[in-house]
Amino acid sequence: MKIRASLTRRVFGRATTVTAGIAISALALSALPASAANDPGVTDTEIVLGMQLPQDGPASPGYNKVDDAMRAYFDYVNSKGGVYGRKIRLEVKNDQYKTGLTITTKDSLISKEKVFAFIGSVGTQTHLSVVKDINRRGIPDLFVNSGYSGLYTTPSKYPTTFGGLGTYVSEAKILGKYMKATFTTEKIGILYQTDDFGRNTVAGLATAGYTFEKGKTAATFIAGAQAQAGALDAPMQQLMDNKVEVVVVGAVASAYASAVASANKIGFKPKKWVVISVGSDATTFQTILYTKGIPLASSAALLAGTITSSHAPAPADATDEFVVAFKKINTDFNKGDKAWDNNVLQGMNIAYQMTSLLVNVGKTGVTRKNIISYLEKNGPSITGAGFAPLGYSATSHVAYTGFWIGAYDATASLKPIGAARQMWTTDSGTGPVTELTWTRPAIGADSLPKGFSAK
Amino acid sequence: MKTLNVRKSLAIVSAAALLVGATALAIPTAGAAAAAPTCKTDVKTNVETCTGALSNGAVYEIRVPHANFHGSMYFWAHGFRPTYAYPGYTPPNGKTVEELTPFSANTGKNITSQMLASGRAVAAFDRKTNGGYNWNAAESIPLMKELVDIAKAKYTSSLTKVIIYGSSGAGPLITGFNETYPGVADASGMMAGATNVSAALRTGCDLFYLLSVFADPNIKGCAAFGAAKGVNGHMLALQQLGLAGAVLTAWSKNLGAPALETPAAVKPYGIPQRSALLLIGLLGGLPTKSSHMDGITTNALIAEQSINSTVAILENFQDALGTATFTGQAIGEIAGAGFYDNTKTDFSSLLTEEDAARFNLGLSGDDGIAVMLGALKAAPRITGTPASVANYAKLYQPTYASTTPMVLLSNEADRLVLPGNAVQYNDRAQAAYQARLDTWNSQSGVKKGAKPLPNTLSIYAITPETYTKYTAAGLPDLAGAPAVSGVGHQSFTVKQSMTWVALMEISAYAKRVPSATVAQKYLAKTPYLSIDLDFRPGELKYEK
Repeated sequence: MKIRASLTRRVFGRATTVTAGIAISALALSALPASAANDPGVTDTEIVLGMQLPQDGPASPGYNKVDDAMRAYFDYVNSKGGVYGRKIRLEVKNDQYKTGLTITTKDSLISKEKVFAFIGSVGTQTHLSVVKDINRRGIPDLFVNSGYSGLYTTPSKYPTTFGGLGTYVSEAKILGKYMKATFTTEKIGILYQTDDFGRNTVAGLATAGYTFEKGKTAATFIAGAQAQAGALDAPMQQLMDNKVEVVVVGAVASAYASAVASANKIGFKPKKWVVISVGSDATTFQTILYTKGIPLASSAALLAGTITSSHAPAPADATDEFVVAFKKINTDFNKGDKAWDNNVLQGMNIAYQMTSLLVNVGKTGVTRKNIISYLEKNGPSITGAGFAPLGYSATSHVAYTGFWIGAYDATASLKPIGAARQMWTTDSGTGPVTELTWTRPAIGADSLPKGFSAK
Repeated sequence: MKTLNVRKSLAIVSAAALLVGATALAIPTAGAAAAAPTCKTDVKTNVETCTGALSNGAVYEIRVPHANFHGSMYFWAHGFRPTYAYPGYTPPNGKTVEELTPFSANTGKNITSQMLASGRAVAAFDRKTNGGYNWNAAESIPLMKELVDIAKAKYTSSLTKVIIYGSSGAGPLITGFNETYPGVADASGMMAGATNVSAALRTGCDLFYLLSVFADPNIKGCAAFGAAKGVNGHMLALQQLGLAGAVLTAWSKNLGAPALETPAAVKPYGIPQRSALLLIGLLGGLPTKSSHMDGITTNALIAEQSINSTVAILENFQDALGTATFTGQAIGEIAGAGFYDNTKTDFSSLLTEEDAARFNLGLSGDDGIAVMLGALKAAPRITGTPASVANYAKLYQPTYASTTPMVLLSNEADRLVLPGNAVQYNDRAQAAYQARLDTWNSQSGVKKGAKPLPNTLSIYAITPETYTKYTAAGLPDLAGAPAVSGVGHQSFTVKQSMTWVALMEISAYAKRVPSATVAQKYLAKTPYLSIDLDFRPGELKYEK
């Protein structure tokens, strides 16, 4: 210390600048360790979580409700004292579904907001633009709202990333099995975006025996192009010219909405639309068509009959205890757009599962490594509103492995096809589609995960 | 889009990434002893200026602010300079010191006055270059050592800390100096430092090759470099730059809209030329932001973010090719013609899954990507000359064994020395430090010695989140002022440079780089310096 003091005098004794003053304090501080023992974003009283999603812009309708729903549930948890006394703070960044903003807001969440983990981030292209860096830093990347299987099926590639949806592959496989049994004589065609989403959909349908011919029964578009007026007229015309009767859609909801609008315009009336769930979200579908001048009642009519699948209860299912509980919390705590729908349900469910995870790792177990390890070893023990278990393990970070198949009614509500909801399960590879016999655990007391404690 | 301006490229390339002739750091013996400096003190400022010549005749200059000098002298080495005179460019003549402290091309300012005002002494030397390989570490390192010795002899008691710092192509000089003369420098710094010349040049050669496949098969690029030496060789190299420039100019005028017709295999697919431009840039790892394009902002014409990034790549491309041209010709003179061989390159592996997703629309979707990569796979490759390829493989690389504290400063969107250089250097230096630490931890007893100290800190100037501006016609405004930070080469604000200077000084006194807490305290006070010490704006496409 004597030497250091001497050095300080010699170095800076005659300096007159601010820089020198800072340097003196810097020398003193440099003896401190480079980083604190605990992970960023966790104190005895708080856990900070980060999320990225489009809050505005063309890709935002519907999805922009997920964050408010998550925050509402966390606020509810906080009103009960927080998890082991730690309040949960959700920091949200609007990336407008522009990957450049996804990158800069990711940087901010890490270095300024100092989040402990990312949770529920929305979008495949956007999340792919940051997933490598998040993983490199060892930050948990939980319940991602993307069904792209490539994010989850090789944990060695993205070890900290865990899904929040089923994969497009498994969903397409299950829908494919249904189609094989149902549409035995109809000509099947597909509209898909030529990216990860479409690639997953085609791969899933292939396991059910469906192959499509480009230019004939397979119509494609470049993801993002659907935003241009009339962009999907030609693909729809192609399918109509090739006498396709059932159109499968492997694309986002804005594309499905545009496809329906184009089909309407050219007089193409397929017997059925079969749409991957992300693409058929009622709120997104109707909001986008509303911006194109189509009234909600008319868009509901356009959506009616659309076949899709879901891992969770329909938001209109008033008999489901999670729906009932989450609706109440939404009413009491949501400070944003609280119109109840599938997106709000998804947000609530993710927050419920995150709370369950924090409860399960214990008061002293909230470290990044523990979170990852726990999910790989005990992932299926994290339950929520989903009717299938989470598929997390050391070899897979896929979330929901099961879906039920339904069709939209005239009120834009998804209803099971058949007398009762039937769950199907499969993997994201080439495994078979089988019936799922799994009983969802009941919601915890007071709508909190089992074992919840504020102390 | 500005047309390719060879003159401008030549000026810009002043800091191009180049270590020439550094197949090994064979340090020549010093020549005749240098004469004592001639000194004069300004009575008003009390700044003493000393000048003189090193043993090989290279001129040097030292300035010491006696009023507040606190013992640190900074020895500056600017980057690469082309050897030969071209219209609008004069190579160093060895009679004047071109840069005494870092100079920013964006701001037009150096930091000499700020350095002196803060009590820091400055020094630098410059010399005539007689052929590309005369600007090399083997030659520069002993000259720098000579200058340090002169300064130490002159300021025996007052000079207490020696800080060696430089930019761009001076990277090998800085790292090589620390390896050759351990303990002489108390700290060091690299500004946009080229630390992996081999990897950087390989990417530059790839860019030429890719342009030849997708645009003009007359482009030979690195296959033509080194075939002739001297002025003639450099003129021939410039012809290659001209061919590439013509393509970029054409693309800038038509905004890359027409369908791609080269190679013929892609013609039926109607892929716009801009998709090939974007693909080439991504395969080369060029920044997807540029001086005027933020990679985010859209309008009616630039309808999607990936199109914005495509224009960014176009804006970055010409300077990246300038680097490849001058570096390639210089390396070609040393390693021999035919040093570039891409027969084993798997270009499809250079497109990351993340980029394929992020820029999917600009690349014309998965189908467009598949068609272009397929055409690329089928295109004829460049077969190098084995002896030259072997020589090229022996280019100097840092050993990372030096324990001298090193502070790196880079722009996140530098198009000349890609920021991946700093990323890769930091990764390797941190790994070397960790290995030293692991060894130390595994030892016991008196032989254990002093605990290794962290000696590498990498900091980045970042861009504003958005900054693209459009003309009244809706076109990107590429003629206006560049982004205030994070773009260009060796272009930093005075505050950014001075923060770097301060961090080097702290390192010199502490014998280690500052802790995260200390570093972030400084960074947070400097506009557009990232406080994220693990920031990673890009990676080099090649390890070596």
